Amino acid sequence: MEKLFEDIKSTVIAGKHLEIEALVETAVQQKMDLDDLINNALIAAMDVVGDRFSKSEIFVPEMLVSAVTMKKGLDIIKPLLKENHQQARAKVILCTVKGDLHDIGKNLVAMMLEGAGFEIIDLGVDATVEKVADKVAEISPQILGLSALLTTTMPEMQNVIKVLQTRGIREKVKVMIGGAPVDAEFAEKIGADAYGKDAAEAVNIVRRFIGL
Amino acid sequence: MKNSSYNLVMSAMFNGRKGQRPPVGNPTSIVCHGLMDAAGVSFPEAHLDANAMAELALAGHEVLGFDTVMPEFSVQQEGAALGCEVDWGSRDRMPDNKNFPYEDFSDIVVPNHILEKPSMKVVLEALSILRRHVGGEVAVVGKVMGPWTLSYHMAGTQNFLLQIGMGESQKVIKMLRQLMPVTIAFARAQFQAGADIVVMADHVTGNLVGPYHYKELLLPIHQEITAQIEGPLILHVCGDCTDRLDYFAQSGVDAYHMEWQVDAKTAVAKVGHLMSLVGNVNNPQVLYQGTPEDVHQQVRYAVEAGINIIGPECAIPLSTPMENLRAIVEAAREGY
Repeated sequence: MEKLFEDIKSTVIAGKHLEIEALVETAVQQKMDLDDLINNALIAAMDVVGDRFSKSEIFVPEMLVSAVTMKKGLDIIKPLLKENHQQARAKVILCTVKGDLHDIGKNLVAMMLEGAGFEIIDLGVDATVEKVADKVAEISPQILGLSALLTTTMPEMQNVIKVLQTRGIREKVKVMIGGAPVDAEFAEKIGADAYGKDAAEAVNIVRRFIGL
Repeated sequence: MKNSSYNLVMSAMFNGRKGQRPPVGNPTSIVCHGLMDAAGVSFPEAHLDANAMAELALAGHEVLGFDTVMPEFSVQQEGAALGCEVDWGSRDRMPDNKNFPYEDFSDIVVPNHILEKPSMKVVLEALSILRRHVGGEVAVVGKVMGPWTLSYHMAGTQNFLLQIGMGESQKVIKMLRQLMPVTIAFARAQFQAGADIVVMADHVTGNLVGPYHYKELLLPIHQEITAQIEGPLILHVCGDCTDRLDYFAQSGVDAYHMEWQVDAKTAVAKVGHLMSLVGNVNNPQVLYQGTPEDVHQQVRYAVEAGINIIGPECAIPLSTPMENLRAIVEAAREGY
């Protein structure tokens, strides 16, 4: 049992996407604790992956394939969880801002957060200020994550925050930003609550926001 | 040596005799709203019309005082010729691909006479126009996409990187090899059309992929490409590439155009004796949001470090203030 648990973790870390399903199915058949499997094998594995990425030991190709591997495992486990376990830790809206079609960073954040037990509402790329604000008003997420790769689209982040303020919903949601051209200074300047330099840090920020 | 723009740039390309000041160059776009207004030409027409393209490139020299003219402002010219549907953008927005025609990694069909495709032909015509106007006076710079960047456009960036993560090296190398002739043909044609230097942009970006990916998958292909192109080449790769500078120096290019994240002094110490270095004034914090004083400080740091050609680190944001671009030229004119 212990070995299987470790095998699942190392399979996600190594991104062996063809092997994960058989291992997770075996774990399910052996009545392994599903919460334990998610938290201490799949999510713990992605924490290791995120840490390696932060240290530049691995790069986006390896991180993507680990995330895909984790998701394949999660897809087997999730339908088996009892209803009360399916309650997400928090709702997170993510998008790449208007004028920007780059989404790898945002997708990695989405995969990592989903793996970590959060409900993701992904508004995709090129998301207009109105679309984002409408969705925040509609579903009241705890966190809003904005991404931009282009220097040209950075100002859109500030526009989103301004509209949230105008509509009186800014204080109801924590806003985090990320992407190549932005930094902590820019986050502070535009009134965001946090800046995440990579997907692993984004997960930590979200955990901190909700007191985990 | 006469201190003409052309001489200063060409000498600096090979770490040669120094003139009175370091040259200022732009391997990537320096188009901003102010430059469009000054030239009376706007996006998207400057991506699609040779005269407009040349006019806007020329403004970089005539209005801002750069020592180079570089007429390719987008990274989509080859992709469009290879079957990508391209949204050519607007005055406020750079072009972008709307689809990825080879997401399934099927064999890439390079059209016959690809250089005659409108999106590629326009660049060749613009280079010829610039050659006729300022040849021998200002360095005329062309630009091509390398096979790695073209693969992003053909397969989608995330999809391409995922295949690498999955260990599908053969699939990835096959795509790179099928695209390599496009890079070579376009670069050669640009020299024939009038370019003095060609930039090869190939985004094995620092923080996105690792130095080991470059070494295994792309370095051998870059070596083949550079062996087949006689003229001076500048490699452009974004991000912090400090960890792969040695590999770039082995690729056969004559210069590397780098971002601010690569420290100028470190780069000169590591590879300055093997290739020239171009750059690396920061875009988001300094050129876009900073002041002329901030620009001055970074330019002088780069000059003192021994960067051969001074310029922005990458294509600048369209709303970059003109005064910050002029500040690059002014700081370089203070000399060595």
